[in-house]
Amino acid sequence: MAGIMIVEDDTALREMLRDALEKRKHTVITAADGREALARFRPSVVDLVITDLLMPEEDGLMVIMKIKEMKPSAKLIAISGGGMAGPGSYLMMASKLGADHVFSKPFLPSELVQKVKDLLG
Amino acid sequence: MSDPNKNRTTSGGLPEQERDPGSDAQLSVLAGGIAHDLNTVITTIYGYCELVLDILGESNPEASEQTRRIIAAADRASTLTGQLLSLSHRAAQEKVAVRVADVIADTIDFIRPSVSSGIRIFRVLNAPDATVMAVPAQLFRIFLNLFLNASQAIGDGDGTITVTLDLPENKNDTYLDQNPDSLLVTVRDTGKGMDAETAGKIFDPWFTSGRKNGTGLGLTVVSDAVRELGGTIRVDSEPDKGTTFSLLIPYTSFGSLPEKS
Repeated sequence: MAGIMIVEDDTALREMLRDALEKRKHTVITAADGREALARFRPSVVDLVITDLLMPEEDGLMVIMKIKEMKPSAKLIAISGGGMAGPGSYLMMASKLGADHVFSKPFLPSELVQKVKDLLG
Repeated sequence: MSDPNKNRTTSGGLPEQERDPGSDAQLSVLAGGIAHDLNTVITTIYGYCELVLDILGESNPEASEQTRRIIAAADRASTLTGQLLSLSHRAAQEKVAVRVADVIADTIDFIRPSVSSGIRIFRVLNAPDATVMAVPAQLFRIFLNLFLNASQAIGDGDGTITVTLDLPENKNDTYLDQNPDSLLVTVRDTGKGMDAETAGKIFDPWFTSGRKNGTGLGLTVVSDAVRELGGTIRVDSEPDKGTTFSLLIPYTSFGSLPEKS
């Protein structure tokens, strides 16, 4: 199966997504913020990145831009719960920066798992 | 209820120019932040419920059904975070005629599992069919916060929470007599009550009266929501004798009475 990186600062959500994706036999790498994600990203290993947008250190928008530079073929899914500007505006920016799909929290993780499958063909 | 010795604070009737726009902005930012964090938690709950359902398969229908009820509760929480974000974004929302007794029943069903087993909740519905113009989740938010506040005031001991629906007439109370076209909703608890100083701050943002839990925003949210309905809210309280919140909300229909235009 594929190599997937999860970038999410909430530990519980990060581990839940790891459980859901490893159950589908994917190899999962996790990072708690954008800076850690960019440090751990290996183009040869990671096929798809799921990133939160509002995070400490480097945010998810920066992650999307940098990943696209490092591996243009990498698939990207952005997730966000909003914040002051609302989820729509951040997710819209993520789409413009190259995210293949966006999810507004709360979402059903089963739908995200299905989207991962669709994007990886 | 008209005892002058009781501590009393009224909120909701202030003209807009008396409100602090700085506090409103802070509250808006805070509401958005809370909604963001809660949406993350709700997604985690959804995910683990789905994993449990996968594991259970068809092996344990009862456990599967109970897991689906967790998902349904998370759906309700999702509705609340949506309301928080709406508050934050000042999104326009359409008001509809809402039967208040239904929202009270829904709210009681929702909070009962989290309320101490020693607390009994009573309903006195003298106006069971009364309706008000409101966003349903907005009313839900009002009662949720009032019930949670009452529950926290009682704590782990025994006590009662009584919610009543009535007309404000013939109560021998000037405040109530001045609002004959409103529905009177009271939420009374037998908790620890408050002194005058505490009652005077109870609707202020971040005021928690020293409780360990709560953000101090619940009653501010209630006060704001009641005002959005065109109503007012008052608190009557005495230390060790409990607290009563009285809401006056303009009604559109009172069941057996002629509908207002």
